[in-house]
Amino acid sequence: MSDDVASATDPGEPVDGSNSLYDRWASVRDSELTVAIVTLVGVLLAPAVLVTVPPMIGVPSAYSWYQGLVALALIWGIFAIGYDILLGYTGLLSFGHAMFWGVAAYGAGIFSAYVMGSPLVLILFGTVLAVLVAWVIGWISLRRGGIYFAILTLAFGQMLYYIFLSPLGWLTGGENGFNAVQIGPLLGTFDLSSPVPVVPDIFASNWLYVLIGACTVIAVVVGYRVLNSPYGAILQAIRENEQRTEFVGLHVWRYKLMGFIISGAFGGLAGSLYVISQSYVPIENTLNWVVSGDVVVMTVLGGAGSLFGPLLGAGLYMYVRNIVVGIPVIGHYWHLILGLVFIGVVVALPEGIWGGITWIRRRIGSVIGGDDE
Amino acid sequence: MSLVGDLIVLLVNGLQQGAIYVLLAIGLSIILGSLKFVNFAHGALYVIGAYVGLLITQEITVSNGQLAEYGLPTLGLGWGFLAALVITPFVVFLVGLVMERVVARPFYDRPDTDQILVTFGLAIVIQELIHALFGGRSFSYELPQEFLGIFPAAGPVDVPFTGTSMDIWRLWVISITAVLVLGVYALIEFTDFGLTVKAATRDAEMVELLGIRVGRPYLVMFGIGAGLAGVAGVVGAPLSNINPEIGMSILVPAFLTVVIGGVGSIKGAVLGGVLLGLTQVSLISIGSFGLGGITINLAPWSTVGIYVLAVIVLLTRPQGLMGSEEVGT
Amino acid sequence: MTTILETRDLVKKFGGLVATDHVNLSIEEGELVSLIGPNGAGKSTFINLVTRMLEETEGDILFKGDSITDLEPHEVVQKGIGKSFQTASIFPELTVEENANIASFGAEHGSFRFNFLRHRNAYPEVEERTLETLRSVGLYEQRNETAADLPYGDKRRLEIGIALASEPDLLLMDEPTAGMSPDETKATVDLIEELQDELNLTILLVEHDMEIVFSVSDRIAVLHRGGIIADAPPDEVQGDPEVQEAYLGGVEL
Repeated sequence: MSDDVASATDPGEPVDGSNSLYDRWASVRDSELTVAIVTLVGVLLAPAVLVTVPPMIGVPSAYSWYQGLVALALIWGIFAIGYDILLGYTGLLSFGHAMFWGVAAYGAGIFSAYVMGSPLVLILFGTVLAVLVAWVIGWISLRRGGIYFAILTLAFGQMLYYIFLSPLGWLTGGENGFNAVQIGPLLGTFDLSSPVPVVPDIFASNWLYVLIGACTVIAVVVGYRVLNSPYGAILQAIRENEQRTEFVGLHVWRYKLMGFIISGAFGGLAGSLYVISQSYVPIENTLNWVVSGDVVVMTVLGGAGSLFGPLLGAGLYMYVRNIVVGIPVIGHYWHLILGLVFIGVVVALPEGIWGGITWIRRRIGSVIGGDDE
Repeated sequence: MSLVGDLIVLLVNGLQQGAIYVLLAIGLSIILGSLKFVNFAHGALYVIGAYVGLLITQEITVSNGQLAEYGLPTLGLGWGFLAALVITPFVVFLVGLVMERVVARPFYDRPDTDQILVTFGLAIVIQELIHALFGGRSFSYELPQEFLGIFPAAGPVDVPFTGTSMDIWRLWVISITAVLVLGVYALIEFTDFGLTVKAATRDAEMVELLGIRVGRPYLVMFGIGAGLAGVAGVVGAPLSNINPEIGMSILVPAFLTVVIGGVGSIKGAVLGGVLLGLTQVSLISIGSFGLGGITINLAPWSTVGIYVLAVIVLLTRPQGLMGSEEVGT
Repeated sequence: MTTILETRDLVKKFGGLVATDHVNLSIEEGELVSLIGPNGAGKSTFINLVTRMLEETEGDILFKGDSITDLEPHEVVQKGIGKSFQTASIFPELTVEENANIASFGAEHGSFRFNFLRHRNAYPEVEERTLETLRSVGLYEQRNETAADLPYGDKRRLEIGIALASEPDLLLMDEPTAGMSPDETKATVDLIEELQDELNLTILLVEHDMEIVFSVSDRIAVLHRGGIIADAPPDEVQGDPEVQEAYLGGVEL
């Protein structure tokens, strides 16, 4: 989906270049710009490469992407990047991340029905709601680490699911989901389903895709920023050796909480975009623990501990779930096969598929005689 | 309509629900306490138990699974429920042994998160395998009216003096669970095997240095935990549906029970399970009541209630009700 | 001379077990005090009480005159206590420079900051402290290597460097030479002495190697079953009959 960028794959490495601080600053800024541009290009090219091209070269339409799916993959990608900040970098495994996606989706959806439907406001509202949820739940769950954190987040995720299902059913529509969503035009003028002037259809066929694409680029850049800030180093240090991090004077618990909140914010952004794109909030695809499980699988498969791995994982998962499922015979077993591949990755390929790709790239690079990283 | 009668029914229902949780929690808690292994696939053992029991008990028609496509529309041994009750735990015990050797053992030295991830993956794979073989639709058990022609097994029984009745199977579940729990407790407390397991919980290296190989007791312990989960599957299933997803859905209450009761403690697992079961049933049964003119409806909160309970316990006593002071991360 | 550390009637009980028994220990500025005792005497417990990893049952701990019993471990570090662990406690997957960087962030930015959108290279003072730290323990050349790849002796240096990055007033060292070859041990001891001279460091050393203890210490405190049975300069401790009995069948003094 997006091209390889050597310097952007591992934000933890020291920056190349001369030792003068200014020069390092310059190359840093360029790096971030490169990441942004690469993501932008990837987002624009994805529909062209995945949707328009395959039919032209004879790939049966049953196996090719459609733009709605590309958009959905990007939304999940945003969710997964946020999840990776918590899992791949901080080393905390949360099984309740659906709560951020779901609370934001419901929040934004309900807001759109009763207050206003401006997409940007909805995104803001949903994300802020997710941040608040993350703050509270993180505050309670982070008192203990490791498995207790996983169990507690799972429990809270389920708790919210049941709360939204039944006691709050009058507001949320319960089992049937919330379908009074009213999405308005972007910035008051651009109807989301209308085509975009200037940009050719094969790149972005409507404003909705532009919105999602823009949010993806922002998410990637923010992710890059966070991972290259002191937080990136400190969160990794916490994962590597929590006690030592505490003993250099850093308040580990607060950093973990911040990691959780930042991760939740990404989930909130994704959830808001989800409801904007679907115009409907189903309870099963938002707050159910299955959603939490999905993002875990995506992130790990794609590659925990990298910036683009989660995006890759999201794309792969979306493709398999929506397209491969239609293939006769093996299609039925998509979830089973993914489960087996997932186990394989956990056992033998900790850096995920993205890690595998970078490994191959480095081997090719050193064979050809380029620099050895 | 007698209050005492209602309370007794509530108590029995709560204990029965709790019993299922206890059976699952004991295995989970011991494995977590002694082997320090987090088994997210424990729920899979439950669903395997349910399906194995189903297949032993009766013949089922498989309509949309792979087995149906292979021309095996009707499956099952039809040996009756009692046979299933006796055989299933052993089958799941064996599954547990295999799981320990193949999945758990290579991961003992790997970080907690990896253990959770791999067993989570396994849980998905097992769920999907069952779905693929048997299809996604729900089955239900046919409980016999009697065991061996003498003991009543299904149907209502009158509660003396109160005029209410309750389901006799629930009493069976409670009794079976009680017997098994006492059995496991005796095993741990009074046998050499149990002593090895307890010692290994404290200091596995020391036990190895004393010349005792911990591999074997670990293996058996894991198997016992699995067997208990299998029992839970067989006894719990007649009271609800059997479909591939029940494994994952029982996992959360099981873990909550462990965490509330305290890791590694059988008493804790029992206490936690009973509390959880009673809480859940009470909230449904109390239903709605009026308070100062407002009707408060508790029933929808019944499932939420157990999570609230868990949070309260964890915030006030992080090591669990019967857990030890050492708070491990 | 100020009293850097003072414990007053410090008690720690685990259920019925008294791990720390009314310990009164004080350490003056610039001193190197060794804490010795047979296994199970309570040395680790004592260290953990000072760093606030454990809550005391009774008693008080004063650092530079102020009670620290209400503080969290990271706050204690910010106040000026550093610790080096029994096993060289570093960040294995990060590079040597990144390791020192973490310590520098802790020292320069305090225990927490909201700077998750600023690049980590935007702080020259942190950079300076990192390089200074690496130079002082002689690991500047290896700064781009992954910490896990270092030989054990260097890992120990790195660890001491990390502990010293915050310029602590008191350094707690928990068996720094455990598991080292004689050469590595000598190098580590030399490093400790050098640092003590240069930085006028106050050190509380927990050690089993009696040669080291007797050669570097200003004072030796002997712990037995949670209580202090001797607290004096090395030659006095050497002749103390109670100490010899506690070590019966143990190490040659």
